[in-house]
Order: sequence, then structure tokens, then C-alpha cells
Amino acid sequence: MASAVFHQTIGNLLSQQHLHNSGFHQEFGNVSVNLISKGFKVYTGLSISRKGGYSSGKRNFSVVQGSASQTSVVDPLSTPSNDSKNGFQKKSSEAALILIRHGESLWNEKNLFTGCVDVPLTKKGVEEAIEAGKRISNIPVDMIYTSSLIRAQMTAMLAMTQHRRRKVPIIMHNESEQARAWSQIFSEDTMRQSIPVITAWQLNERMYGELQGLNKQETADRFGKEKVHEWRRSYDIPPPNGESLEMCAERAVAYFKDQIEPQLCSGKHVMIAAHGNSLRSIIMYLDKLTSQEVISLELSTGIPMLYIFKEGRFIRKGSPAGPTEAGVYAYTRRLAQYRQKLDEMLH
Amino acid sequence: MDAGTLHNQIGAVQLHICSNDSGFLRKFRNSSLQCISKGFALDVKLLSKGICNSKHGKVRVTYTSLCHASVVDPALRTSLSANDYNQKPSIESSLILIRHGESLWNEKNLFTGCVDVPLTKRGIEEAIEAGKRISNIPVDIIYTSALIRAQMTAMLAMTQHRRKKVPIITHDESEQAKAWSQIFSDETNKQSIPVITAWQLNERMYGELQGLNKKETAERYGKEKVHDWRRSYDIPPPNGESLEMCSQRAVAYFREKIEPQLQSGKNVMVAAHGNSLRSIIMYLDKLTSQEVINLELSTGVPLLYIYKDTKFIKRGSPVGPTEAGVYAYTKG
Repeated sequence: MASAVFHQTIGNLLSQQHLHNSGFHQEFGNVSVNLISKGFKVYTGLSISRKGGYSSGKRNFSVVQGSASQTSVVDPLSTPSNDSKNGFQKKSSEAALILIRHGESLWNEKNLFTGCVDVPLTKKGVEEAIEAGKRISNIPVDMIYTSSLIRAQMTAMLAMTQHRRRKVPIIMHNESEQARAWSQIFSEDTMRQSIPVITAWQLNERMYGELQGLNKQETADRFGKEKVHEWRRSYDIPPPNGESLEMCAERAVAYFKDQIEPQLCSGKHVMIAAHGNSLRSIIMYLDKLTSQEVISLELSTGIPMLYIFKEGRFIRKGSPAGPTEAGVYAYTRRLAQYRQKLDEMLH
Repeated sequence: MDAGTLHNQIGAVQLHICSNDSGFLRKFRNSSLQCISKGFALDVKLLSKGICNSKHGKVRVTYTSLCHASVVDPALRTSLSANDYNQKPSIESSLILIRHGESLWNEKNLFTGCVDVPLTKRGIEEAIEAGKRISNIPVDIIYTSALIRAQMTAMLAMTQHRRKKVPIITHDESEQAKAWSQIFSDETNKQSIPVITAWQLNERMYGELQGLNKKETAERYGKEKVHDWRRSYDIPPPNGESLEMCSQRAVAYFREKIEPQLQSGKNVMVAAHGNSLRSIIMYLDKLTSQEVINLELSTGVPLLYIYKDTKFIKRGSPVGPTEAGVYAYTKG
């Protein structure tokens, strides 16, 4: 019936893509998606877990099945002509971004300030990671970024053992020529079945300077309660020889914009396994939070947060198969009210 | 035999041990031990903690199931000082070797080598199981390879450890990494187990076979060639390491970095890979290249050695199957 029209529409829209103007393209990209979702309920059956559905070489409109998003349709016929042409151009695609904060570490258990000390997970932290993995087992992952600390790396690797798709995470090594040469893979097929894992100190926890290793009581005794509260909860006051949240945000967000966002732009699905402060910093960027809001943001451990990156925007989808958004992304009551007022003002 | 005579004997023997000739020292040390052990059967309970006080030049004797119990007369201690002789006290420390369990490429039957592939669910369980078996063996310092499957194995195993010391991975890949990972509490430092990662403990690098499946490789190169690479001592795969090459860097690292720790009385755990561990075992047990080729080390089953008087005594697997299960020679 209208499938011929449908095809034609897409065909027309796509032929417009010869214009290298990304703004123009984006507008049409939007239109095509709207047309599809309004007009048709044709579902070409591209579910996330299907093998081969997400090959990064093809220009698919990918479909993400979040509990809160609209589904759109991808017509396989729309793929052919445009691969080589509009290389730099943003296509109207959706990419998933998963954020996971690692679970309990051995020093959390002992109530010691950890920062960048490389402390591993407890049994509970291990379980949290596996649980997180179950929740994201159906969300496609093409690339993984972690910090250089084992608790985040283990969280990512443990979570991925639960992943339904059978691609294998492979940690990239760049620390020396030898490391690079020694970790080379010699089979194309195997490479296609690999998910590169990139470790970056820029995603590390906020560095806590001279408080690292101290217990919270000890520190309050040594420096005084108010001072400690300031360091922990202000935006820009660093502990002695440490980082403020602002400093942490600076290097984490810079890394995200520089290295991770381009991947999302090119349609790759990304998972980031990191820490309380580095992730809040990134969320501050994704959700355009103020410094006041970010201080009050608590990110639950081991509960993945999903965003959809679409047309240059980040759409928060909450936690897959988990509690309501508020549970994952909890404002204190005062802040929630403040935020609500803000929203009301804007609408 | 009375204590007076004993004192004289020990005293006499030790006066001679001022020379710096290690051969000379060893000879006298042996004879002093023999003097003592013949004369007395008194049992001195010496735990591994606190035995090794290297500041004092004591003659210390340890009590194990295999050697005679001997006596140290406390009165002797005062007459000895570090200046008298350079003798090393007799120390026991434990050495645990753990080979990591199943990785995602083991499951897919791909040659892994130094590609950094993580553990499967099964590999995780194996690590936890291994941890239960060593939960009572003291660990002061941990060495792993630079690959996540060995590091995870160590960290997962240690979640089962009874003693509540915390493994801390040391970072010195850059000045910043070093500075950022500093700990500012002595108390906390004392409760930490340093974890040192070293590429020298990595799996044997498999060159151009890395990522290939075993069938594919047999088809590409021929079965015999592949068998050669996998099972010979000194034939490397294209652009890869032979077992000999792997041994060389693994054993050198062991002797240079790990053995001194054992010598100073530290209890060590090494979490690594099939080939790097065999290489080390080859050194510990003085195996020939023929024997090492036939050595299969079970995954996830810890192997315990006691280091004593610069010798390595194999203790098999703690709370596990018999030695043969852990340390199995193939029939050939």
C-alpha cells in the first residue's frame, strides 16, 4: 500500500543528502523520522539483541527500545548509496550511552577516603556489577570507556559477562610500543567480534589529595568538621593537594567531549564505567546542570543510567529495568523543588 | 649435653663467621645447625611472623614437619651483633601461584597470547574458588601480569581472604599516576597489600596467531607447524615468542623482583598465565625443557611453595586435590 510511497519518501529524502550542509540534512533527517513514526507502525524487526543488526559499517537508523522512548523504523533499503559520501556529516542516528558507577570498594567498607588510590571491589561490589550487567544485557555496546582504576574496570568486565550479545571486550594497550605490538589481533573476523575497552585516567575518581587513606573520623578530628564538609560538598574548594569537583569536571568533561562524543556522533553505542565524581561531572554536561545542582546529585552505585544521543542531544532515559528515575538520579528534596520551579518558569 | 657446652660450641662456630666468603659462611652455618640439632630435641615454636629480624645476627631455626627441631638459646642473642657476621637468618615465606581461569577467548577457542581478554562467568567462579582455598595463607605482596584476566583473578580471590588487609594496585606509569595514588595514612598503609603489575608476567606472546581460531590456524599453516609452535620449547610462532623466550623474561623478573621479597620474609602471591607460570615453576623445580613442555598447570587451582633457606619446597594445592591434580604431567 503505502510502502511504495514510504520507500519513495525515504529515497527522496536520502537523495537530498548530496547536499553537504549538515543543518539542512539534519532538518530532513528529523522529518523523515517523524514521517515514519506517525505514518507507519511497520516494524522491521530490528531488535537490539539480534546479531548483525548493529554493524557500524552500515548507515542504519538504529532502534533503541527504552521503556520511555518512541520507536522509529529503519528501512534496510535506505542504506545503500551513502556510505562513502557524507563522511563527516552527522546522520540522524541514535546511539546509546550507558553510565555505570562502580559498586562498593574495600575502602568504602572501611570508611576511608579513596580518591585515586586503586582499591578493588568487595564481594558486594562484585555482585552489584553483575546485577548492573543484567540490566543492560540487551542494550547494544560497541565501545567501552573506563577509568584507569581496577574497581571501574572490573565493574565493566563483570557487567559484560551478563551481556547477551556475544561480542568480546578487549582492553586496549597503549602504554608503550611493545604493549601495543603485543596486543595485536590478527583476524578480521575476531576484530569484528570485539568491543574495544579504553582506559583513561581522565575518568578517574576525583583526586582527594592528602585525605586519601584517612578515615572520615580521623579527618574531621585533624582538620575540623566544617573544613571537611567544604571539601566534600563544595564545587570549587579542593582538599590539600587534591582536586575540587570543578577540577575533576574539567578533565572528565573535556575527555568526554574530545573522545567519547565523536563516537556517539558516528553512531557507536558507548558504555562508560567510572566513579561518582567523574560521572556526575559528565551528567552535569549532558543535562546542563548548574554547579549547585551537581553538588546535590547522587548517583546510585551499580545502577546503570541510560542516555540516548540523538541529533547532537542527550536524552535521559533513566535506568533500564530498574527503579524510577528518581531512584537513580536523586535530587535532595530542596533541590527537587528548586528544579521544579525552574521547569515551571520555562514552560 | 649441657647448655654450657652448647654455648661454647655455637660460640666457637660463630666466631669464625666473620669472613665474607659466602661459601665459607654456608659451610659453617650448616655445621652449626648440625651441632645443634644432634644435641637437642627441644621444640621451639617459631611462627613465620617476627622470625626474621635481620637486624640482629641471630642463628634462627625454623620448625617444619621435615626438619629437626633445634634450639636457640636466648642468651646468645646478646653476644651477637650485626658486626659479627653476615649470616642470613633462616626464613620461611609462602609463595602462591594462581593461573587465571577461563577467558572469553578460551570459550571461543581462539589463540589469546597477550591480547587483553577478560574472564567468563566461569573464570570468575574459578577465581573466587581459588580465593577460598588460600583464604588462610598470609599474603604480603601480590604480583600480576599487565592483563586484566590475571588482575581480576587476584582481586576476586582476595575478596575471600580472611585477613582484612586491602590489596592496592600500585601505579607508576607516570609521575602523575604515582602522585595521584598516594596514601596519606601510615595506619592505612600498614593494612595494605601492594599489587604490582608487570608485563614480564604476561602470557607468552603468540604473534600472528593472536585472534585466530585453532582450526583456522591449522588450515592456514598446517597441523604440524602449529603443533611445533604450541608444544616446542624454542620455536616461536611468526613474530611471537617461543616458550624459551617467555621463560627468559618471566624468570628474570621473578629472580630480580620477586625472590628478594621472599628472601626478606614477605609472603607473595603471583597471579599469572599458563606459560609464564610454567616458566617460573621450571626455575623453582629445576625442570628440564622437556619436562616443562609436558607440564600442565590447572586453571584456578592455587599452587603453594614454601621458600626456605633460598630453596623452594613444593607444597601442592592447599585444601585441594592431590598434587597430581594440580601439577599434572602428561603421559608422554
